[in-house]
Amino acid sequence: MKPEEEILKTRYQTYALVWVTLILLTGITLSAAGRELGGWTVLIALVIAGTKSGLVLTYFMHLRSERLTVFKIIIPLVLAVFLVFILLTFSDLAFRGGVK
Amino acid sequence: MALMILRSFGKMDDAKGLVAGEVRDATGARLGMWLFILSEILLFGGLFILYSAYRYKNPVDFHHASRELDVLLGTFNTIILLTSSLSMAASISAIQRGQKKLSMVLLMATIALGLFFLVNKGFEWGTKIEHGIYPNAPALLARAKGEILFFGLYYVMTGLHGLHVLVGVCVLLVMLILASKEKIRSTHFTPLENSGLYWHLVDIIWIFLYPLFYLIS
Repeated sequence: MKPEEEILKTRYQTYALVWVTLILLTGITLSAAGRELGGWTVLIALVIAGTKSGLVLTYFMHLRSERLTVFKIIIPLVLAVFLVFILLTFSDLAFRGGVK
Repeated sequence: MALMILRSFGKMDDAKGLVAGEVRDATGARLGMWLFILSEILLFGGLFILYSAYRYKNPVDFHHASRELDVLLGTFNTIILLTSSLSMAASISAIQRGQKKLSMVLLMATIALGLFFLVNKGFEWGTKIEHGIYPNAPALLARAKGEILFFGLYYVMTGLHGLHVLVGVCVLLVMLILASKEKIRSTHFTPLENSGLYWHLVDIIWIFLYPLFYLIS
């Protein structure tokens, strides 16, 4: 087996279906932003953006056909590091008090 | 990144296969590309945290400033980039199946969509600059602090993203030439795969930029 055949041949229909889903999710983001949902708006927008990224990562970026374990480690690891940055920044912001 | 793609390209060889003694490691090449992509995610991640912190401190100003952006143009550009990701992925599928012509046409479509995105972005920036909204502009500096921060972040983040689109277009142009010379083919397409990974990364970044800048309600 040649190493480059490790990447699965994805059917065009699968890609087209992913694209349709991405466009639909964009439409949902747009219409959700037009409503008065208060604090939920940001959360909804981020959840949808996260879902869209997940689709791109899984299908377009072929993560579903990567067999090497290291791929399953490095990506959650980087996201965890990023989460720590976010938590540290916001715990700082929330407890700073009077500083602008 | 260019090094990564060149590395994955390996030693030149004829259509028959590998030159004696040549070692190719497609998985290793992809892993290298992924490490680069993850570092890019942290680069943009830092900017997203900066954005979140300033928005948390200036929610009303961010809301007012965001309303001045063209939602229609932003949505249109989102659709353009999502579609370019589709043509990019399909281009790789085509080369895997040995459909060279189709692959090249899809690659050209991806490049065209990328350029289209940049042209729209140019018009968008142009309009803002005409209205006196650009970094350090007197009209902008007279506004509320949060609005100055919003437009500063808008120019830095969409600017850095636009730069990535431009680099992506250049990389894909090189891939187009390589494909035409049969240097990328059904048995050796890792450079195209890695360029695709980069292109999709640029798409993912825009997926987050779009609601955070255009859709603050």
